[in-house]
Amino acid sequence: MSSETRNDAAVQIDGVSKSFSGTVALEPIWLKIRRGEFLTLLGPSGCGKTTLLNLIAGFLEADEGELFIDRELVTQVPPHQREIGIVFQNYALFPHMTVAQNVAYGLRTRRVSKAETAERVAEALALVKLQDFADRRPRQLSGGQQQRVALARALVIRPRVLLLDEPFSALDRNLRTAMQVELREIQTRLGLTTVFVTHDQNEALSMSDRIAVMSQGRVRQIGAPDDIYDRPANLFVSTFVGDANLFDATLQGVQGGAAELIVGGAPLPVETYQEDLPEPGPVTLFVRPEQCRLTGAEEQGAVPAIVALSVYQGSYAELHLDCAAARGGRIMLRVPAAKALPAGIPVGIALPRTGPAIYAVEDADKEVA
Amino acid sequence: MTKRPFLGWFASPSILIAFGIAASFLAIVQYSFRANIPGALDPGGFTLENFTTLWKAIYGDAFLNTVLLCLWTAVFTLLIGYPLAYAMVRARSVRLRSAILLISLTPLFLGEIVRTYSWMIVLGNRGFLNAALMQMGLIDRPIPFMFTMTGVVIALVHFTLPIVVVMLAAGLSHIDRNLERAATSLGAGRVRVFLTVTLPLSIPGIVAATSTAFAWTFSAFATPQMIGGGQVQTISTLVYQVGFASFNFPLAASLSLTGLLFTVAVLAIFNTGIRRLERIGGH
Ligand SMILES: Nc1ncnc2c1ncn2[C@@H]1O[C@H](COP(=O)(O)OP(=O)(O)OP(=O)(O)O)[C@@H](O)[C@H]1O
Ligand SMILES: [Mg+2]
Repeated sequence: MSSETRNDAAVQIDGVSKSFSGTVALEPIWLKIRRGEFLTLLGPSGCGKTTLLNLIAGFLEADEGELFIDRELVTQVPPHQREIGIVFQNYALFPHMTVAQNVAYGLRTRRVSKAETAERVAEALALVKLQDFADRRPRQLSGGQQQRVALARALVIRPRVLLLDEPFSALDRNLRTAMQVELREIQTRLGLTTVFVTHDQNEALSMSDRIAVMSQGRVRQIGAPDDIYDRPANLFVSTFVGDANLFDATLQGVQGGAAELIVGGAPLPVETYQEDLPEPGPVTLFVRPEQCRLTGAEEQGAVPAIVALSVYQGSYAELHLDCAAARGGRIMLRVPAAKALPAGIPVGIALPRTGPAIYAVEDADKEVA
Repeated sequence: MTKRPFLGWFASPSILIAFGIAASFLAIVQYSFRANIPGALDPGGFTLENFTTLWKAIYGDAFLNTVLLCLWTAVFTLLIGYPLAYAMVRARSVRLRSAILLISLTPLFLGEIVRTYSWMIVLGNRGFLNAALMQMGLIDRPIPFMFTMTGVVIALVHFTLPIVVVMLAAGLSHIDRNLERAATSLGAGRVRVFLTVTLPLSIPGIVAATSTAFAWTFSAFATPQMIGGGQVQTISTLVYQVGFASFNFPLAASLSLTGLLFTVAVLAIFNTGIRRLERIGGH
């Protein structure tokens, strides 16, 4: 099986792990990155994203495990022979070279002829819309322009894999969105296998073919953005990606595919996507804000709550509710701005019958992101 | 002033020192334009004679010697200091880094006289260096190091190394490691990364270190005096000789003053040269 699946994997990570003087940065990881895929590594600070990227690039040596790029075993191949393009958060442009010289660097190391170099540099600069900046110095460019030069410099060598480590986190919001779109367009057009690191969940959800959610040196779930968002595999992923409302509930048993829950004193049969449910007893119920419906306080079966705070957000308002049945006593709902309620109003929350997930209480104690 | 109530207190010592330096400097300037009265410690009236005297060959030789000494010292210090600084900044092992730091900084704590005496023991005809070379059969007669330019340069390199290593290390540690990683990912091997990225970006550090080394060596006295033993005449040894052997204070003063101006001129030429070089190099 392995030889066949390896065929379509542009990068294959087989049990690679890494520790720094005793502290584990990365537990053994198995991961296949498909050809032409945009894979995002998403996770909180210190979870090992950069470490994994550096292992793929070859800047770090794995403690164990093996790494394949295009079916070639590269665990022992030095970084300058791996043909990987890298874009750093701080751009890392050579300050003593012009934009054109920066982009040409990787071609000069490959002894590409002068004529071809000029042609490919122009092509790469056109790709990132910087034709007119060839003779500038990096410090004469804005942050967004510098990052585009960095991208052109990485792309011009036609890398087998493109690695980007939080490339846009130094840019302001508008520019960031523009760059995200631009990168995705270029990546799709070139069909380039890409590994993108971010700790911004919106960036991950909007750009990726697949997301690998990491925490504490482990991949907690890997899947398409909607898999991750709608069908999180564990409580960590639930709470790290998107907003989560957690309720203390009691699982009474499973009847005909539906889990029988008691939430806030009322029975609630729930159909979940999960295959493994915790043992009957106290559990934690996870519901997205948009799955909760605001009702009157008296409504049958609704969980009672009281508006604590209403936060205006332009197109919508966030209602923060005090709710005795919620973990930590607080939940959040989004309503159209016109329907915002003042603090102190008692309301009810109708919970969905399908969609939410049920986790063991111990998970909630240690895993809420 | 109310915001920094202690500024005055903290600054006062430096003001005192500044006054001291200014006063002695003025005294030297003043002396250098006064006539020498042989046998008297007090100088005579105003004259330019001291400076015309300096045109004599013996003084010219001292100037040339000093420049050569500084130049050789700077070159060798740089050649030894750069790899040391590089290793100090880049070594993975903390122990190795501290070892290099310690070894390169100890000369600073030894004091010039102790260090120079040690070198006299090492460099003598029956000293450690010659003995070792003869033992190994590399030479059959001792190489004269004492009272030669070579010996003085060796000792001065040791004298100058700490400051150069520290300045180079400071420069190197400011180079973003991601630049080297970027170059590596673009296909450059270690040597190429060093030559095209690390070295060009460390030029400012090299310039600063070399200028300082130059000035540092220029002012060295005990080392050329003791190891040169009068055979290697530099401006500082000459000042000493003229002032404290011949008691010609005015001439010694004018020699000092000229030496100072000369250093400034050499460093200025050096810096413009480098700046031009950098511009060609595309900085
Ligand atoms: N060179 C190193 N020496 C020692 N520990 C390291 C080193 N590099 C990383 N670590 C540790 O390994 C863990 C993972 O670090 P890594 O840089 O991969 O995190 P990250 O997910 O990229 O975080 P961030 O989002 O903050 O960039 C961290 O706990 C970090 O302290
Ligand atoms: Mg990181």
